[in-house]
Amino acid sequence: MIQPIYFIILSLIIFVLGIIAFFIKRDLITMFMAVEVMLNAANLAFIALTKAIGIIDGQIIVLFVITVAAAEAAVGLAIILLIFRQKKTIRTEDIQVMKG
Amino acid sequence: MNSIMAAVPLLTVVVGSLFLLILEVFLNRENKSYLGYISLTFLVICGIICTSFWNKDYSYFNGSLHLDNLSIFFYIISLLTIGFVILISLKYLFLQEANHGEFFALILFALSGMMIMVSSTDLLIIFLGLELLSISSYILAGFRLKDVRSSESAIKYFLLGSFASAFLVFGMAFLFGISHSTSLLAIVQHLQSGTSFKLIGFMGLGLVLAGFGFKIALAPFHMWAPDVYEGAPTPVTTFFSIGPKAAGFAVFLRFFHIYWHSLESSQAIFWLLWVIAVLTMIIGNLAALRQTNIKRILAYSSIAHGGYLMVAVLAQDYTSLMFYLVVYLFMNIGAFSAVIALSKKNKEFLELDDYSGIGFQYPWIGALFSVFLFSLAGFPPTGGFLAKFYVFSAAVRQGLVPLVIISVLTCLVSVFYYLRIIVYMYMKEPFHTVDVYKENPALFLVMFLCVYEVFQLGINPGSILVLIRQALISLPVF
Repeated sequence: MIQPIYFIILSLIIFVLGIIAFFIKRDLITMFMAVEVMLNAANLAFIALTKAIGIIDGQIIVLFVITVAAAEAAVGLAIILLIFRQKKTIRTEDIQVMKG
Repeated sequence: MNSIMAAVPLLTVVVGSLFLLILEVFLNRENKSYLGYISLTFLVICGIICTSFWNKDYSYFNGSLHLDNLSIFFYIISLLTIGFVILISLKYLFLQEANHGEFFALILFALSGMMIMVSSTDLLIIFLGLELLSISSYILAGFRLKDVRSSESAIKYFLLGSFASAFLVFGMAFLFGISHSTSLLAIVQHLQSGTSFKLIGFMGLGLVLAGFGFKIALAPFHMWAPDVYEGAPTPVTTFFSIGPKAAGFAVFLRFFHIYWHSLESSQAIFWLLWVIAVLTMIIGNLAALRQTNIKRILAYSSIAHGGYLMVAVLAQDYTSLMFYLVVYLFMNIGAFSAVIALSKKNKEFLELDDYSGIGFQYPWIGALFSVFLFSLAGFPPTGGFLAKFYVFSAAVRQGLVPLVIISVLTCLVSVFYYLRIIVYMYMKEPFHTVDVYKENPALFLVMFLCVYEVFQLGINPGSILVLIRQALISLPVF
């Protein structure tokens, strides 16, 4: 059997990859996918920890997080669609109007 | 006491928003403002129920939903915020072509998210409340469907908000790993009992703090705030500047009350928060100096006020924290409603140049706006002065003198940009004609209520302090 610690390390790697993808990609859908990857990395960590410590709570938390991610996806894709209707593009540099 | 009654205020709001969603289908475009009055009715009912539960101390769902005095106090703050936001948006939505009935349902969903956040001591439930608040906020930010700025603010808030949520969940996984639970008390106890996983625990705590810091716009995580505040419809901006902050600081209050008592020796988190507070105050105030858009100025000012609230958290003085939140609620809603007052059909006056000569052209709006700006800057005899005074004196009592010196200096900087608006209003010739839509009784009701409260809290704060002390009794004693 593979030890849970390897899954925790894997989840850390996926999380960091998600952060990197969020910062280097210039496309709204891909950035959103990077966030989903990060959330799923956290889910993997929860499941591995549940296995390691033997308390079932962690797997229930995963169900909650998946629900939240689904709700976020519904809203987020609607907002991206709204932007696409207005500008006919979803590249971040093309939709920037306000400057900090 | 375990009782279903603890969930009744929350259920009132949720039932209200579902009812509004159904009713919205049957109303035609002209009658949408009835939804606003119905949502206000639900808020009043919820308020009455809340006040009747004062000192009752119910809890439900295995203790993960507490209706103690502290929750009720924050319920009332949230209800007042949402009530005022609904009142100031009644005419605004109609004038700015954002008259979709879902607005009121969504804002009640956001309210229920805030209520879940402030009344729970379980990190998972707090996270769910935060997401309910955030997801409703993403939609509300993009509510002016034809305006590109509004959509841009929605997408920025959505992407960065869900990015921060991912950090929060990952931090929660670490904390769950070391403490085998998501309850705040258990987490702090396991951080304290020096196991070998202490470092992982503090990493998790850092990630969770980063997630919350984003939601309440603390300094390294504040980048989204000015753009989102500028693009969102103004009543929604009003809500963003108060609602998530109040709920976030309620969570901080519950968490750090346990944390400071159990881990006095652990200085790492203290200095981390110290640096965050200083950065927030400095960046918020300095960046506001070079803004010319009134909503961006108020956005940076609200970031800076987050820094002063952080000082109260560091000073471990929760009376002053809650007093500051109450005063901040009234003065910020007042200032934003003055901004909303200067708008007409499909046009808002948001640049600083538009405000030149407003003080003589519209004496009421100018005078009331000036009062709110004086209060935000912290002049006596307004509430803003007393709020800052309580926070800073509590920090001095805790021996945080360098922090207080930095705070006072940043306060002095902030006077410049608040007074600049007043100088524009009273000492400049009108740049061009500004004609506003004046028949807006609900908005003026909000402004007069806020100005009354700003002076009342500044001159006679006794009664509210008694309430705050009664609310703080419900915190666990060590």
